[in-house]
Amino acid sequence: MKIETPSPQGIEETQYATPAADAAGATTALLTEARKSADRWAWARALSSRYALVLVWAVMAIAYLVIMPDKFGHMTSVQAIFGSQQLLVFLAMAALSTLIVGEFDLSVASVMGLGATIIPVLDGTHGVKIWLACLVALAACTLCGVVNAFFIVKLNVPSLVVTLGSGTLFIGIAKLLAGAGAVSIIPNNAFRDLTQLVVLGMPISFWYGLVLCGAFAYVCACTPLGRHLMFVGANREVARLAGIRVNRIRSGSYVTAGFLAGLAAIVVVSSVGGFDPTSAATYLLPTLAAVFLSTAVVQPGQFNAIGAVIGIYFLETGIFGLQLLGLTGWIQDVFYGGGLVFAVALATIVRQHSKSA
Amino acid sequence: MTNPAAPRLAVSNISKTFGPTCVLHQAELVVQPGELHALVGQNGSGKSTLVKVLTGYHTPGSGGSVAVDGEHLSLPVEWAAAHRAGIAVVHQDFGLLDHLSVAENIGVGGYERTRFLRRVDWRRQREVAARVLGELQLDIEPTALVGNLSASHRAGVAIARAMRDLVPGGGLVILDESTRSLGRQELSQFHEMLRRIRSTGTSMLLVSHSLDEVLTQTDRVTVLRDGRVVGAGLATAEQSEQSVAKLMLGRDVDDVDTRPAGESHYAPGVTITGLSGPGAASLDIAIGAGEIVGLTGLPGSGFEQLPYLLSGATPASGELTIDSTALSLARASVAACIRAGVVLVPERRDRDGLAMSLSIRDNISLPTLTRHGRPWWAGRGWQATQTDDAIATLGIRPNAPMRLIQELSGGNQQKVLLAKWMSVGPRFMILHEPTQAVDVGARSDILNAVQRAAASGVAVLLVSVEASDLAAACDRVLVYDGPDHLTEIRSTDPDTILDAVYATAAAAS
Repeated sequence: MKIETPSPQGIEETQYATPAADAAGATTALLTEARKSADRWAWARALSSRYALVLVWAVMAIAYLVIMPDKFGHMTSVQAIFGSQQLLVFLAMAALSTLIVGEFDLSVASVMGLGATIIPVLDGTHGVKIWLACLVALAACTLCGVVNAFFIVKLNVPSLVVTLGSGTLFIGIAKLLAGAGAVSIIPNNAFRDLTQLVVLGMPISFWYGLVLCGAFAYVCACTPLGRHLMFVGANREVARLAGIRVNRIRSGSYVTAGFLAGLAAIVVVSSVGGFDPTSAATYLLPTLAAVFLSTAVVQPGQFNAIGAVIGIYFLETGIFGLQLLGLTGWIQDVFYGGGLVFAVALATIVRQHSKSA
Repeated sequence: MTNPAAPRLAVSNISKTFGPTCVLHQAELVVQPGELHALVGQNGSGKSTLVKVLTGYHTPGSGGSVAVDGEHLSLPVEWAAAHRAGIAVVHQDFGLLDHLSVAENIGVGGYERTRFLRRVDWRRQREVAARVLGELQLDIEPTALVGNLSASHRAGVAIARAMRDLVPGGGLVILDESTRSLGRQELSQFHEMLRRIRSTGTSMLLVSHSLDEVLTQTDRVTVLRDGRVVGAGLATAEQSEQSVAKLMLGRDVDDVDTRPAGESHYAPGVTITGLSGPGAASLDIAIGAGEIVGLTGLPGSGFEQLPYLLSGATPASGELTIDSTALSLARASVAACIRAGVVLVPERRDRDGLAMSLSIRDNISLPTLTRHGRPWWAGRGWQATQTDDAIATLGIRPNAPMRLIQELSGGNQQKVLLAKWMSVGPRFMILHEPTQAVDVGARSDILNAVQRAAASGVAVLLVSVEASDLAAACDRVLVYDGPDHLTEIRSTDPDTILDAVYATAAAAS
């Protein structure tokens, strides 16, 4: 799967026009450097260090194709893999917005869970209009981000402690609201079409995810704000002495994470028609696994949006194939957990490799 | 057994390559018993690699040998074996833990234990600490917290830790840039301690940037350039700073241009009135446009705070007038100061100055992103031009804008830091220790670049403890006498400046 982002400005220097192309541009720079050193295989090394994960992905997909050409080599598999992970894309962008500035948010999945509980509770139980329920949920999720920011940035409590605690707290509130078990909305086709309408063979929310990822990557790679985020993540004091309002950016990252988790909540309720708050926690590990995988691909050593999306579909391809082979239930935990360790190990190796080269 | 006639340390034919680059080529190093031997070279010349081969961090290429007192060590060096043979290391910045006691810091890595429960025997541990400190003639309480010690005592603790397991009068202590954080006064106490250790027969290998220190304190010097030994065990008594620098660089050093002597008249540039905050109580400073004013004082006396007060980085009060615009320091943020043309080139480039994991281009363009870029598009062309200009004018090596800062040598990092702030087009530039831990070549490049900036009309405040920098580059020097008083001197002689600094110490005590 190749992800293309639209070229916003083709005039200035075409090789830098998009985030994806920026990576490609840097690769071209690596290539020219490599040619100069007269090392015939340096370009292959440069490419493999950036896209090793894509290579692993391709090998995996080919292996599945060879083993089960009938089951795996079918359009429905492609749709099953790429049409089912929108929620994770939104959550991954939420997690990225804090990780990019050197912060850490373990509560994103719970914030999403709270939002996804509020919508059916308001709509299904109390008869509030679905659009209003969504707005309330979005506001509540953003407020969760504000709460996190207050404790972490204003009071200087370690982010790991705050978000571990607040995540449990938010999901507790969700369970309180839901009563026992799952809650559902009143069936509503228009609301369902908001995410499930099929466009070019995929549910429209798949395209939302790509647009969000593209926008995220664009902001990070091409705007002054993105560069400021990168410096806050790399060295806060350097950023502060350059006149960047570091604490505002840190707070903003938690609030953005809350807002994006709210959008994820709307996506999940719209596609499933309800939510079970006890399931929220299961989304945290896949999200983190994908986000950490991003440090091994596209821009090795740095969290990046395109890499995170590649990571999500890489993990899903692996799990989907194994499920087709008849492994179910436990395989998700094994693959996501193993994938997380694999991701960080790969990223570390790639970094060391590119340093000594 | 140990051969009494053998050198304390004999390294021969040690090579090391990283990928295609050869960073160490058939290096030789011989240190005699009871000798203080210096190892010098520019950043990237291979001296840290050589030290890391000795401590077992790097595996050398085949064919070399390392012997201590005539006994060959197996290669790659196993640290435990090297340590038994008598090699000890004092790390850069000492590697002490402030919240632990002196005895705990000295014992790390070899705690004495009780016989049955195998827990740490603190009573014996304190005895060990007291014994080593006694050998070094240091009057430090083993139970004191390291965080409460003076800098020279901290240095003593670090050396005591290294010497803990050495046979008195034997062994070799490697001091790897250990003196960076010491002020001048502490440095002389430190050197005295080194001389005491040498007189017992223990050898020392001093890795240093300071040619002055090397020539006055050590017996012989080994010079590395581009991974090759270009001067093996030269007697320091027969060398001068110029001759060693020439060996290190492979060419003559460009002299730092000295400022014309006598009073010159500058157009009004920057006026600071009533500066108050940590380290300052109602100070007034005026600097002309194009003038370079030095600010110095005793290390730790508080003058190090002033650059941060003047640039909005630390809350302060007072008024800064620049080109007839008044800026209230009580309200000014860092961003407001930068907009007004006031920039700070901070001291610790690795901590406060540059993002080490990002590229040269990213670091240089950071302060001007919002100025040259639009909110939705940072733009690339201007960044490329800006970086290329900086690389060309300051002679940054390698000429590779996308290279990460952590892969550059210290001198080149400092040049990138200077370029980053020059790119803002400052009216008032505050430099804090701009030549800290850079080699002689980079030092003259940096100071000459500052002079060129001043020649274009920038007011410069050079805050430094390096008297030679102040003497060479400044029109006049302000000596910090305390939070409420500065003494102005004009001199091109470093010793005059130092005398003035120490006169303030005498007056204070």
